[in-house]
Order: sequence, then C-alpha cells, then structure tokens
Amino acid sequence: MTVASVTVKATAVQLGDRLRARSGAELTVTRIDEEFMGRANMRAFVEDSEKQWFKMPALRDGDVEFRRDDAVD
Amino acid sequence: MVVADGLTGIDGRRIDPSVLDGKAVLVVNVASQCGLTPQYEGLERLQERYGAAGFTVLGVPCNQFAGQEPGTPEEIQQFCSTTYGASFPLTEKLEVNGRHGHPLYERLTAVPDADGRAGEVDWNFEKFLISPAGEIVARFRPVVEPEDAQVTRAIERVLP
Repeated sequence: MTVASVTVKATAVQLGDRLRARSGAELTVTRIDEEFMGRANMRAFVEDSEKQWFKMPALRDGDVEFRRDDAVD
Repeated sequence: MVVADGLTGIDGRRIDPSVLDGKAVLVVNVASQCGLTPQYEGLERLQERYGAAGFTVLGVPCNQFAGQEPGTPEEIQQFCSTTYGASFPLTEKLEVNGRHGHPLYERLTAVPDADGRAGEVDWNFEKFLISPAGEIVARFRPVVEPEDAQVTRAIERVLP
C-alpha cells in the first residue's frame, strides 16, 4: 500500500475524503459546512467521529491536500 | 463551582479553586498559530484592567481547529508568557467539541450567543463569560475582539 498526496479544489471535497491540514494533522471528512464563521467564500471540513473532532476551513476556490490510499500488489 | 471543578492547569497540577471561585471568568479556547492569536494582547489587557476587581481570563489551549495548538504544555506556556506576557491561568490542552469534549465545554456550549445560536465552538478564541455565582452569562464568537464594548460591558455587569 502506498499513500499518495495530491491537492484538490476545496469545492471538490466530499464526505469520506481524507484531508491533511497545514499542521500535518489529518481528518476524514464527516461533515461539510458551506460557510465558515459567516464567510460564504469558505467551506469548513469537519471530522466528528469516535476517533476525533477536528475542523479545517479552506477558501472555496483554494486547494486542499488530499490523501489517497493506492493499493499496490 | 462551574469553572474550577476538575480542571488541570497547563503545569499538570490541579487548578486551585481559589484562582477562579467568586470571580467573573472569561473562558477562551486559545491557539498559538492562529490568525486570531494576537487576541492574546486584548485578553491580557482585560486581565490587567479588571483583575483586581475580581475578574480573570482562563485560557484553554485546544488543538481541534486545524491543529493550530500543536505544542507541548511547556511550549504553550512559554509562548504565552514571552510573546504576549500573558499573566492569566491556562488549563491543560483540552477538547472543546465532539464526543470527547471536556465537561466544562458541554455546559458552555449549551449556551447560545447573541444571535441565539448554541452548540459547537466555531473556532479558536471563542469566549464565554461566567459570573462569580457560576452562571454562564454571555458567549462571544471568535471574531469579537476581547476589548469589544459588548465584552467589557458584560464583564462590568457581573464583577463581584
């Protein structure tokens, strides 16, 4: 198994996606808020799970780091 | 008392209840690497302005918002004191949201803000004001500056 890291547009992020914050912390998106602190030009990605609660905002037209697990035989 | 019960300080020792009991307390979840981190300056000025009148800020380091409070307790304490001269007490690093949220925050987040919205803490530097009697009397979202008139008016209303 190799883990690739790519950037995707914040608008393309979906529930279940695995993201990495600039701090290096990671979250699996379980909720997407379509604005952040009243700012409609931002989205906020939240993991609210037994494992952790973690929030990461991003500019709507910005990029976010996306973790993709690629199985390699 | 609603604030001090079961709280551990950044130094790993139980916070002495006398530090908080009978005071108006502004509870703020803080982070060292946030765009709002300069709010430490306003928080310290509140501490200096009202501290002798029975008020204290209580900082709650939290790493749940984009991982912007990643440091060790020693690093957090050093950052606060050397960068901002913060003299108010800090708790250990806590979780403020989610199913592992600290019991203090279960109570705090049940209180609505001025727009009537309760629930999760939005981001770093959300503020909750607790009266000397232990009643949660106001909630201010992160963008409200510590020295905003609505904050200082609320503090002055509940000073012992």
